[in-house]
Amino acid sequence: MAAGGAGSALRLGLAALAVAVLLVGVLPLLAPHDPHRVAFAARLLAPGPEYPLGTDHLGRCVLSRLIHGFRVTPLAALAVVVTALGAGTAVGLAAGSIGGAFDRVVMRVVEGIQILPGLALALIIAGVFGLGLWTVVLALAAVHWTEYARLARTMTLAERAKPYVLGAEALGAPRHRVVLRHVLPNIAAPILVLGTVSLSWAILSFAGLSFLGLGAEPGSTEWGLMIAEARNHMRLHPRLVLAPGLTIVALVIAVNLLGDALQDRAAAGSAGTAHRFVTGKGRTS
Amino acid sequence: MAAALLHRVLYATALLLAVSMAGFALLRLMPGDAGEVLLIHQMAGELPGPEALARFKREHGLDDPLPLQYLRWLGAVLGGDLGRSFQTGDPVAQEVGMRLVNSVLLGAAAMALACAVAFPAGIAAALWRGGPVDRAVSALAVLGMAVPNFWYALLAVLLFSLTLGWLPSSGYGTWAHVVLPALVVGTSLSGVIARFVRSTCAEELPRAYVRTGRAKGVGEVPLMLRHVLPNTMVPVLALLGLQAARVFDGIVVVETVFAWPGLGRLLVDAILSRDFPVIQGCLLVLGVVYAGLHLAVDVAAMLVDPRIRGAV
Repeated sequence: MAAGGAGSALRLGLAALAVAVLLVGVLPLLAPHDPHRVAFAARLLAPGPEYPLGTDHLGRCVLSRLIHGFRVTPLAALAVVVTALGAGTAVGLAAGSIGGAFDRVVMRVVEGIQILPGLALALIIAGVFGLGLWTVVLALAAVHWTEYARLARTMTLAERAKPYVLGAEALGAPRHRVVLRHVLPNIAAPILVLGTVSLSWAILSFAGLSFLGLGAEPGSTEWGLMIAEARNHMRLHPRLVLAPGLTIVALVIAVNLLGDALQDRAAAGSAGTAHRFVTGKGRTS
Repeated sequence: MAAALLHRVLYATALLLAVSMAGFALLRLMPGDAGEVLLIHQMAGELPGPEALARFKREHGLDDPLPLQYLRWLGAVLGGDLGRSFQTGDPVAQEVGMRLVNSVLLGAAAMALACAVAFPAGIAAALWRGGPVDRAVSALAVLGMAVPNFWYALLAVLLFSLTLGWLPSSGYGTWAHVVLPALVVGTSLSGVIARFVRSTCAEELPRAYVRTGRAKGVGEVPLMLRHVLPNTMVPVLALLGLQAARVFDGIVVVETVFAWPGLGRLLVDAILSRDFPVIQGCLLVLGVVYAGLHLAVDVAAMLVDPRIRGAV
């Protein structure tokens, strides 16, 4: 039963990955028009057979821009999550396994960053080092790693009290080996679930910063930026604001539902994680 | 209690020191030589000669060791001198103070609105689990986490200002101007808070004291307000403290949409125009406000729960 839970979580994750690859890799190839082609003669056209969602104030195809947007915000958000997850998990594992003064100092820093408003802090960091796609991604990761550090530390402390870790330590396995080969695989599931939560946070934050003119470059097919550009035409052409907004909402809800489903299945599978060490299915030292 | 309180105050002070060092570093991280940039802005964009630059740096102590510069800068900041804006030449402290008042007003209105919706809804959802209120709370929480604030704000403008004409679409001055921005930030938070109130209340309801209260005939409303709610206050206060940080994140975006002259819009404008003294002022003020707020939440938790008073 335990293997079934973990296995179906894996299948769900792979299915989600396949959908993501389709959206990011294949869908833009099917876009009806060049998303950057400006045609003043075709400004603000209503939806029709030629332009399924109409055109914007520069005569660009809205549907094509939305579709190409899957290559901007979701990828930037993914970069934020991967960076924050990697750095935060490493710090949390270290704090939880080294303990002592190091742990106390690290956790005070984590707490301090979490007290401050994250988006504003990221804005300031990005603003100081010069705005740009990658500065913004790194700035968002620089405030977000704390979530992973806190979770990884708590999980590490809980795992280290379990018999399989105590057993490995009693057998004389060095601490870094115990942490990397036994603790890390067993805390991976909740960290990946947190990854889906922070993916939606990163999508919303990046789109918000782009809306303010502080994220993606002007002219990009970023959804928040599309909404900002359409603002002056909102009254007569509300679809220009509605279409990118609904795309963001749908994507974030999908990511959140994926996270919930992964969490349920990982919880169903976690009952058997500890005995992997005992039954020999896990790695022994 | 005194020891625990002292511990919290010390932590808040350490956090403020760290923020102040970051603020000091900010002006030194500015591209180009700090002295040159400052002098150019004082001379209305004219490039100073090397002699004038050297004199300026000597007069302002920019050649001194960094720790000494930091202490001198900290002294000035504590005396209320945050320097002058590159853009307007006005004192930063005055501008930041004025903007802060507007943002606190908006944030407090949003938070009050969020709580006014979230507490009754959360309690009702816990009492009648699976009922219509419960489902509405879940839906509101899902939407609150998925709808971008800036888009929500535009939709609110489209509906209430452009279509119905009930409320002004942007600006500042009358109470009518507060309604839309507070509504947007407040309702986007209320779902998450309501769901949390629901789950903490749902944990309390099966307990013996609730059954005892009902058995001896305490009405549902006094039972909830006087017995169940106080017991959920410690986690709920902690959540409200965390949400307060999200309030400002929402405000940064919403103030821009509604042209509300608050700290968030000041920060965005300062970043777009690379006005470093103003960015520094915003960072320092945010540090003071949030360190203070965090301390207040901790003290409030001690006041409502005597058990926490001894813990450090």
